[in-house]
Amino acid sequence: MNDLPLIQNANMFLSDRPSVYAFRQQSLLSLTKKGYPTLKSEAWKYTDIRPILNQKLTLEHNDLCNHCHCQTEKDDSFALNIFFCNGKLHIEDFNTPPGLNITPLPLALYNKEYTSYIGHAYDADKHPFAALNGFYLEEGLCICVEKAAKIAKPLTINYNAHSPDGRQIHLHNIFIIEKGADIEIVENYTADSDATYFNNIVNEIYIKEGGKLNHYIIQKESHSAYHIALNAAKIQKSGTYHQYYKASGAKISRHENLINLEGPSANAEIYAAYTAKKECLNDITTNINHLSQNTTSSQYVKGVLEENSSAVFQGKIHIAPHADKTCGTQLHKALYLNDNANLNCKPELEIFADDVKCSHGASCGEINKDQLFYLISRGISKKEAIKILTEAHLNEIFALIPNEKIQNKYFY
Amino acid sequence: MATPLLEIKDLHARVQDKEIIKGLNLTINRGEIHALMGPNGAGKSSLSYVLCGKDGYEVTSGTILFKGQDLLSMPAEERARNGLFLSMQSPVEIPGVIVSNFLKQSLNSVLKHRKQEELDTINFMKLLRSEAEKLGIKPEFLKRFVNVGFSGGEKKRFETLQMSLLKPDFCILDEIDSGLDVDALKIVAEGVNSLHTQDNAFLVITHYQRLLEDIVPDIVHIFADGKIIKTGDKSLAAQIEKSGYASFLTKDKQ
Repeated sequence: MNDLPLIQNANMFLSDRPSVYAFRQQSLLSLTKKGYPTLKSEAWKYTDIRPILNQKLTLEHNDLCNHCHCQTEKDDSFALNIFFCNGKLHIEDFNTPPGLNITPLPLALYNKEYTSYIGHAYDADKHPFAALNGFYLEEGLCICVEKAAKIAKPLTINYNAHSPDGRQIHLHNIFIIEKGADIEIVENYTADSDATYFNNIVNEIYIKEGGKLNHYIIQKESHSAYHIALNAAKIQKSGTYHQYYKASGAKISRHENLINLEGPSANAEIYAAYTAKKECLNDITTNINHLSQNTTSSQYVKGVLEENSSAVFQGKIHIAPHADKTCGTQLHKALYLNDNANLNCKPELEIFADDVKCSHGASCGEINKDQLFYLISRGISKKEAIKILTEAHLNEIFALIPNEKIQNKYFY
Repeated sequence: MATPLLEIKDLHARVQDKEIIKGLNLTINRGEIHALMGPNGAGKSSLSYVLCGKDGYEVTSGTILFKGQDLLSMPAEERARNGLFLSMQSPVEIPGVIVSNFLKQSLNSVLKHRKQEELDTINFMKLLRSEAEKLGIKPEFLKRFVNVGFSGGEKKRFETLQMSLLKPDFCILDEIDSGLDVDALKIVAEGVNSLHTQDNAFLVITHYQRLLEDIVPDIVHIFADGKIIKTGDKSLAAQIEKSGYASFLTKDKQ
């Protein structure tokens, strides 16, 4: 069993409390049975993960981070801040407003109310890295917004990579948005060095009837790092999930959304903007399942590809039988800064109902020469003008962000 | 005699294989307003692109001196920083670029070139708001994306606003009247007139004499088939309005 890449100390992780043990063992079984994806796996055909497996990454056992200054930017006036450093939570009293409960995962694992949610939003057989994450289930947060609670301040989870060279980090979060509740959660991934490490994140998101989550994710990992994230959401009747994603980091970045619109009139919107940096790969894969009537989804993704970069966009919309009056749209627009860039775009529509509206579109192009001339003719240098136009391409996504403070602090 | 602001001698230029400027001579001094009139397709806009250094517009022979310096050896951004401004016929929409950010970057690159102090956001916004107000531009406008969804009038007013900020020595107004109703035309013309001093000069490109009632030229040129075929005072414009370009073109051929 220990021969499987990235799996270490199996016995230690399988000797915990029975409920946790069972889940870890189940996850390991899935991974052992299915193995890691290869280029022959349909969902991973454009993203070669062998460099991650070949790195011989290790787990860190230090419990706490005492030495870093990752909290220096703490500003609770704007948002409630939580810090992880190299995958370890800074234990502190969360000054949480009424209606919001934040429980570190190790504690949540003792709470029956929460354990029933773990591993419920995805199928480990189909998500090998979530299975790996499940095997190492240890760190993360369980965030629960009580019924009808409207949390005014955003909750920001800061994940700092403080020179975690050669390490693998697995984080598992559960977001539970109870009936009629409303919250904004920001996830901010940063690195303070060019370290090689692997961040493997699973967010399980449960939105109950009429609940609303605005989820902002900023991925600025080190350019030698690997970042694989799964956001698995189950959305009940009239629930709303809006995700705003900005990515510019990681050597290999895979951002996957698995969204089940389970109740009538559930709604999901994904807005993403990425920059595939030189020699890096940026993958955004989305699966949206319309499982009920009147459900709506939209995906709007814009990317910039630098020299010798690669990008992947896979967007699947599945509409189940009887999920009538649904609407699903998908659009991807890429901008090449250089001819030596590689984009793989795969839209998939799978429609089993009759009365639906679905669309997909993809485009790619170079910098518009007239726009470039306009800026240059106003005294702006060519280099600066290209930078402005590149940012502008992505700004169209950021302009859609409803919270101006979050928009200015994290996106522009 | 003072150095002319702009001195073009026997200019030939082409786009790909097509010759568009065929032996143009033009001298413009500080304080002057020149009008360049001509039929569609004569190469008027091409001339403005050649002057500003747009990619793809290749000068095959001739010289252009701007403030006594060789304009053709300068890249486009340097021409702009040196005081050349083109108000474009159809300014391109740039989604995602906010008006105020763009103007700040543009102005600061020009100020830096002139070795003047660059403006911080607060001082820049103060200046921008006051210049905008003079042109009847509302503050909300400054938060919009460059030219996106602008009406014809707004586009041209925005071009005029840029001129008032950058204070160029030489402005080419390429059909600044196109797409404007009478009222919008008046505002833009007033803006241009207020910017005109004895130290700068304008080249007004237009089809119609109407604009030249509001921006009164000192000299009028008729431009056809890549060169100037006749030069006169403002009465020439009135003559064109009366008898059209055809009479000049036939005369030229004879």
